[in-house]
Amino acid sequence: MSAARDMLCDTARAVFAEAVTAGIAPVEEAGFGLLLVPEEENGFGGDWGDVNAVLQIAGVVVPDLPVAELIAGEAYQPAATVSLMAGAMGQALTLSIDHVNTRQQFGRPLGKFQAVQQSLAVMACEVRAVEAAAAALALRLDAVGLDASAADFEIAAAKLRANRAVGVVTSIAHQVHGAIGFTEEYHLHRVTVPLMRWRGAHGNDAFWAARLGRQVAALGGHGLWEAMTARGA
Amino acid sequence: MQGFALYPFDPPGDIAALRADLRAWLASNQPQDDVVSRANCWASFDPDFSRALGAAGYIGMTLPARYGGRDRHPLERYVVIEELLAAGAPVGAHWIADRQTGPLILRYGSEEQRQRYLPGIAKGELYACIGLSEPSAGSDLAAVRTSARETAEGWRVNGQKIWTTGAHLSHVMLTLVRTEEGSERNAGLSQLLIDLDTAGITIRPIIDMAGNHDFNEVFFDDVLVPHGALVGERGQGWKQVTAELGLERSGPERYLSSHALLVALIDATGPDPDPALATLIGELTAEMWTLRQLSMSTAAKLAAGEDPMVEASVVKELGNAFEQDMPRRVQAIVTSGWDDENDLAKLLRALLIASPSFSLRGGTREVIRGIIARGLGLR
Ligand SMILES: Cc1cc2nc3c(=O)[nH]c(=O)nc-3n(C[C@H](O)[C@H](O)[C@H](O)COP(=O)(O)OP(=O)(O)OC[C@H]3O[C@@H](n4cnc5c(N)ncnc54)[C@H](O)[C@@H]3O)c2cc1C
Repeated sequence: MSAARDMLCDTARAVFAEAVTAGIAPVEEAGFGLLLVPEEENGFGGDWGDVNAVLQIAGVVVPDLPVAELIAGEAYQPAATVSLMAGAMGQALTLSIDHVNTRQQFGRPLGKFQAVQQSLAVMACEVRAVEAAAAALALRLDAVGLDASAADFEIAAAKLRANRAVGVVTSIAHQVHGAIGFTEEYHLHRVTVPLMRWRGAHGNDAFWAARLGRQVAALGGHGLWEAMTARGA
Repeated sequence: MQGFALYPFDPPGDIAALRADLRAWLASNQPQDDVVSRANCWASFDPDFSRALGAAGYIGMTLPARYGGRDRHPLERYVVIEELLAAGAPVGAHWIADRQTGPLILRYGSEEQRQRYLPGIAKGELYACIGLSEPSAGSDLAAVRTSARETAEGWRVNGQKIWTTGAHLSHVMLTLVRTEEGSERNAGLSQLLIDLDTAGITIRPIIDMAGNHDFNEVFFDDVLVPHGALVGERGQGWKQVTAELGLERSGPERYLSSHALLVALIDATGPDPDPALATLIGELTAEMWTLRQLSMSTAAKLAAGEDPMVEASVVKELGNAFEQDMPRRVQAIVTSGWDDENDLAKLLRALLIASPSFSLRGGTREVIRGIIARGLGLR
C-alpha cells in the first residue's frame, strides 16, 4: 500500500472510532465525502483502491453508518458493499482466530483441535476470496476511470462471490465461538449481523447470478475466456 | 496472513500480442480430438503436440537461452499456460517437466544436469515424473523408505514408489530417497534424478477408476545410479521438495482444468438461458473470476521471489472445490443421460468420475487445510 493510502487508513480508523458514538457527523466533517472528488475540484482525488481500503475499515468499525453512501453514488453501492463485506469478514476471521487461541477446553486451546483448524481454514479461504474480489474490482473500476457500467461484469462477479461467502463465514465464526459469540455483549455480532444484511442489499445472489449468467450466455462458451482476459491482465 | 492485498500481476512485454499469437498458433496446431481430452487436459498426453509447442517456444519459456529456454518472465509463462488450459490443449506429456522439474534443475541442479536435461525439456521432448508417494508414505510423506546408498560406482537405490503419474511415458523421475542410513522423518532425505531406462527399474500400470492408465507403481531393485544424479544438496531433499510443491499448487490448472465443461454448458444453453441455467452460469463465472484473481496474485508473488505457501494452498483448496462442484451442479440441472454422446454429456461423465482425485493429488484437502491453519497461527 502507498504511504498516502496508509495515512488515509489511519485517519479513517481515528475518525470512525469517534463516529461509533458520535454518528456520521465526524465522518462528514473529516471530508470523507470528498474522497473521490478530483483535486482540481478541491477533493481528495482518491481512487477506488482508496475507497476499498476505507470501506473495509468502515465495515468493521461503523457498519451501521452510511459511509458508503457519503463517498459514492447509487451506481457504486454494490461495489461499495463488497468492500464493507470484505472488511467485516476479515474481522470475523481475526476474532475467531483470537478466540480459539485463548479459549481452553479439554486442557488446551480450541485452536489445537484439528476439527477447529480445518473449519477455520475453510473460513479463511472464503475471506481471502472476497478480499481478492474486492481488490480486483477496485483495479477494474480504476482502470475504466470509475465508469461503473464498464465494470458491470466485475461488480456482478464480486458481489455474487461476496454474497456466497456470507453463509460459510458467519456460521463458522459463530460455531467456533460457542455461546459467548451469541451474546449482546461480545462483539462478533457487530460484524456477522451486518454481513447477513449486506448479502441481501444491493442485489442478492439470485439477482447478480441471473444478470451475470445472461451476460456470459450472450458471450458464448469461448467468448467468456476472451472477454475475461480482455478485461484484465 | 493478515492484511491481504492482491499482488500486482504485471508481466513485461505485450501480453495482448502474446495471447493473440498463441491463440492463432493453437487454431492451426491444436488437435481436434475427442472433447473429453480437453477436460482435465493437463493429464492428456500427446508428444507430437508437445514437440510442436516446444518448437514454437512455449515450453521451458523461463529457462535461460543457453539451456534451450527463452529467457521469458514467469508471468509470461503464466499467461501461456492459462491460454493452453482454457483451450483444453493436450499439455500432459511435458506438463510436469515444464512446471516443476525444469525449474528445480535450474535452481538446484549441477551444470552437467542442466546441460543434459533442460534443452530436451524446452523442446517438449523430455518428460519427467514425480517420485514422492510410497505405499506407506502418502499424506505422511516424511515416512518415505526408498533408500539410496552411496558406493564407489554410484548410488544403489532400493524401494518402491506408487501413484507415479506418467512414469510409463517419462524419461526421468525426480525421486525422493533416504540417503542417510538410520535417518528418520524429514532428515536424511535427498533428491535423485533417475533415468527411467536404468537397469533394475520396473514400472507397472495402475488402472484408475476411469479405466485410464495414468499412474503407476515403480520398483527399484538394486538400481545403480551415477553420483551425478544427486540434485542439490545431500540431505536437503525435504527442503527442496517443499519448494517444489509450492510451484505445484497455485497454478491456473487448479481452476481451469475443467473449463471445457463450462464452455460446453454455455454453448448448450445458448444466448437466452432459462433462469436456473443463467443462475448456475453466473455463479460458476463469479467463482472462476475470483479464482483467477487469486491465482494470478499468487503467481506474481512467486515471480517476485516470495514464498506464498498459504496463498498457494488457498488457490488449491478453492480451485479443487470449484472443479468438484461444477460437474455435480451441472448434472443437477441439465437433463442428460449418463451414456449420451453429445459433448456436454461426455464431459460431464468424464469430470464426475475424474473429480474425486482433484483433492487428493498434489496434497489432500485435509493436508492443504492444515497448511492454511498453520498460516493462521493455529498450529
Ligand atoms: C490422480 C493422482 C495422481 C497422483 N500422482 C502422483 C505422482 O505423480 N507422484 C506422487 O508421488 N504421488 C502422486 N499421487 C499420490 C498423492 O500425492 C497421494 O494420493 C496423496 O498424497 C495422499 O496419500 P494417500 O493416497 O496415501 O492417502 P492417505 O494419506 O492414506 O490419506 C487418506 C485420507 O486420510 C486423510 N488423512 C491422512 N492423514 C491425515 C491427518 N494427519 N489428519 C487428517 N486427515 C488425514 C487424507 O487427507 C485423506 O483424505 C497421485 C494421486 C492421485 C489420486
